[in-house]
Amino acid sequence: MMLLAFNSFLVAMLSVPIVTLISHRWRKGRALPAALLMGSLVVGTAVAAVGFWRGQRFQVDISQVASFSFALSMDRLSAFFLLLICSVSLPVILFSSSYIPRHYSGARRHWLWVLLPLFLTSMVLVVTSSTPFAFLFGWELMTLFSAGLIVIDGDSKQRRHNIFIYLVMMHAGAAAVIGAFLLFLPHASNFAQMRDSAALMSPLLRTAVFLLAFAGFGTKAGIVPLHLWLPRAHPIAPSPVSALMSGVMLKTAVYGLVRFAFDFLGSGPSWWGYLVLFAGAVSGLLGVLYAIGEHDLKRLLAYHSVENIGIIYLGLGSALVFTANHSSVWAALALTAALLHCLNHAIFKSLLFLGAGAISDAAHTLDLEELGGLQKRMPLTGTVFLIACCSIVGLPLFNGFVSEWLTFRSFLAGSEMTNLSAAIVLPLAAGVLALIGGLAAACFAKVYGVGFLGRPRSGEAGRANEVSLPMQAGMGALATACVVIGIFPGLVLRSLGALTEELLPGAALPPEATSLTVVLPWIALFVLVLVGGFAGFKRAKKLTATWACGLPGLDERMQYTSPAFSKPLRKVFSRVYRAERTLEVVPGDPPYFPVSISYRSVRTTSFEKFLYRPGVDAIVTAALRLRRLQTGNIQIYLLYIFAALIALLMFMRWA
Amino acid sequence: MTLMTNVLQVLLLILLAPLVRGVISRIKARIQNRRGASVWRPYADVLKLFRKQDLVPASASFVFRLAPMVVFTTTLVVAAFVPLLHGSALLGVTGDFVLLVYLLALGRFFLMLGAMDGGSSFGGMGASREALVSTLAEAPFLLALMSVAIAAHTASIAGMVQWTMGQNFFQFSAVYALAFAALVLVAIAETGRIPVDNPTTHLELTMIHEAMVLEYSGPSLALIEWASAIKLTVVMALLIALFVPWGMASSVSALALGVASLVMLLKIAALVLALALVECSVAKLRMYLVPDFLGVASALAILAVVFTALMR
Repeated sequence: MMLLAFNSFLVAMLSVPIVTLISHRWRKGRALPAALLMGSLVVGTAVAAVGFWRGQRFQVDISQVASFSFALSMDRLSAFFLLLICSVSLPVILFSSSYIPRHYSGARRHWLWVLLPLFLTSMVLVVTSSTPFAFLFGWELMTLFSAGLIVIDGDSKQRRHNIFIYLVMMHAGAAAVIGAFLLFLPHASNFAQMRDSAALMSPLLRTAVFLLAFAGFGTKAGIVPLHLWLPRAHPIAPSPVSALMSGVMLKTAVYGLVRFAFDFLGSGPSWWGYLVLFAGAVSGLLGVLYAIGEHDLKRLLAYHSVENIGIIYLGLGSALVFTANHSSVWAALALTAALLHCLNHAIFKSLLFLGAGAISDAAHTLDLEELGGLQKRMPLTGTVFLIACCSIVGLPLFNGFVSEWLTFRSFLAGSEMTNLSAAIVLPLAAGVLALIGGLAAACFAKVYGVGFLGRPRSGEAGRANEVSLPMQAGMGALATACVVIGIFPGLVLRSLGALTEELLPGAALPPEATSLTVVLPWIALFVLVLVGGFAGFKRAKKLTATWACGLPGLDERMQYTSPAFSKPLRKVFSRVYRAERTLEVVPGDPPYFPVSISYRSVRTTSFEKFLYRPGVDAIVTAALRLRRLQTGNIQIYLLYIFAALIALLMFMRWA
Repeated sequence: MTLMTNVLQVLLLILLAPLVRGVISRIKARIQNRRGASVWRPYADVLKLFRKQDLVPASASFVFRLAPMVVFTTTLVVAAFVPLLHGSALLGVTGDFVLLVYLLALGRFFLMLGAMDGGSSFGGMGASREALVSTLAEAPFLLALMSVAIAAHTASIAGMVQWTMGQNFFQFSAVYALAFAALVLVAIAETGRIPVDNPTTHLELTMIHEAMVLEYSGPSLALIEWASAIKLTVVMALLIALFVPWGMASSVSALALGVASLVMLLKIAALVLALALVECSVAKLRMYLVPDFLGVASALAILAVVFTALMR
């Protein structure tokens, strides 16, 4: 039954592009691709939900009929990530069903409907594959289809450059992932074999596998300093695609790391854990600090993806430290925290990107300086955006808090370790997480306060209207999920506990994890009753003008701007930003009244300057040197072939 | 009976909070050689404000009026975490220190949004400064509480208090002094007192908290004022409960609770006096010195965690 449903889900997904190409001439068929895609996603969600909650497994193996080993299977881990992909994409597609026709026409629209299902299918392939071939096949397609989706949104030199960086980094990462798989040879035909052979590997080889997987999946996840592509590629995609890339695609990298580190390798030395923990702390802090310095909404959100991947890595790192110290109960808690944060981030980050799409739809800009006052003009979009902001900041009663709370609790549990370094490092990591949380709160107070509150800062923002109904419904569904998981985390926690039990033998979610599920509904009820009571209590209300020190003429330019809001924090953390400022003053006749003043502040992250630039320069120099080999003279090429032949023959003779 | 005492504790914290504020300003006035207003003045203020109209800027959205309610409600929930008269609280067992810190953050986040909804530069200025202070205060706050949690082997506030009550005062770990010092610095920043912020300032350019609530009036302002009074009292009660809980009732009987109330009143009076003395003798810090102030708190909190882990 499950197998049938899963197969029909795949077939339905793959049929959407064909249906799009057939139906686009037929006027009434315009809504068909979206409807078909949503229908198949509903089936996919149902399959994944049954697999996740009931723990049913099944396998689709076409290795017998094909010449390569290609098999899909589902265990709880796959089911969880499949659930994440399908359930989050469903509202995103609902949003797109109205967003895409409004913004794209003709061939571009058809290409979107062709590539979107293919992109989703490639992600499904990645998380359900049970052979390296199938995994890498999906992994590669995922990169290519997402790049294709970015290309649709327009063409310029800058965009091509960004897409180029995206592709180069993705392939460098894919090379590392392929390397990690190759190290399992000759026992690498399917995952079960790899699991068995990993136990027999030498410690050195295991470390090599881990490091390659860490680097390869880290590139996809966007950990600092491999994050360079993320703030370039995500903002230039169409908003629903950004939502899928940031919310869903990054999680496949977390899936890969969990599969390698916990499923294949099982456990390792504790420095693996410290490495992941450190990567998470650096990504989290730098991600949110860079985000604070941005005022383009989508770039800002992209940097927040780096931050949240950092939080997920903090959980994963502490889980690895616990497994290394043979404390699988606490490892289960930390791993649960990381996985739950994957789901939570998928939900609220998709919602934020959809919100950005709704803003650009209504106000035609994503520059925070041009927005303002949108809450009154777009009540639903504003409210769901507020919910998403509270979730990403990790405030209680919203979903982000639950996973951050679990991470905090796992850090506290670290103090119970007999290993002294774990007992000191893990509790201190809580300080880092608290700082990240505080910075995120400042950043989203800025985003929501400048973007949605106060007065509109431009005419476009003042004329904004609420977006169409399907777009509202898509965002509303995601916002509901934020609140439901935030108040009743028990719904997912129990099954996640079962999932971690599968991954970490002998582990059960400790009872501490459930104390939150008891107290949160009561707090929610109390807050609801009290706030409802206050709101219901009729208070005389009078509209007035904003206080302007008794002077007339307060206008929207006098409001605090986004750079002004973040200035104190940027000043305190100025060593992170290293802005290059140039001030040019052209003096006038009396030197006190300059003719013109121009000020420029450019922030290039130190990574580009000190880490990537030398590497890129070295590669380019080497390539130029090697160009001398390419003379264009056919005799020389024949000589190369001859020399290669001789070398191979000699190799065969002595090897 | 325990449940009733727990409810009584929350009610005491809520109802006595304005009095604590009144006493502080009265003592400050005496130190500064003024007569000062009656200690009951904060009650009169809140009552007066509740009877007034709510003035809302024309540009503001529903967030403007929602924010004070959220601030007030979250402060009430936090009040239910802290043991006052005996070693237990309404949410003391299930409510842990992470939830406490983040509930306060929830209220603050909404207050910042409410400030920005007014559409004037003062609100944005206050919110921006509050963002700076609260961001840097969050990590030391959490770490200092964590060091106590590590020592007590529990995350719940009531559990920590019961553990401390079981300790002998004279065998008390000196490491605790670090956590206490860090928490005191954080508490000053968190409740917006001198030297971080001046609650009685009249100059918009130096305001933090007051700039945020500049646009509020009537019942909304009453909620904010009352909430900040409760927050001050709750933070004081938290400091007492975590570090000097001796004297709290070990059994729930009328006599023990009566004695515990007297002891608690004395402790709070001592803290109030100390606060008033500090506020009269120290000047407010320049805003860009506040990060250094909180940096000291962070360093103390980190040391507290490291030493607690080492001594365990």
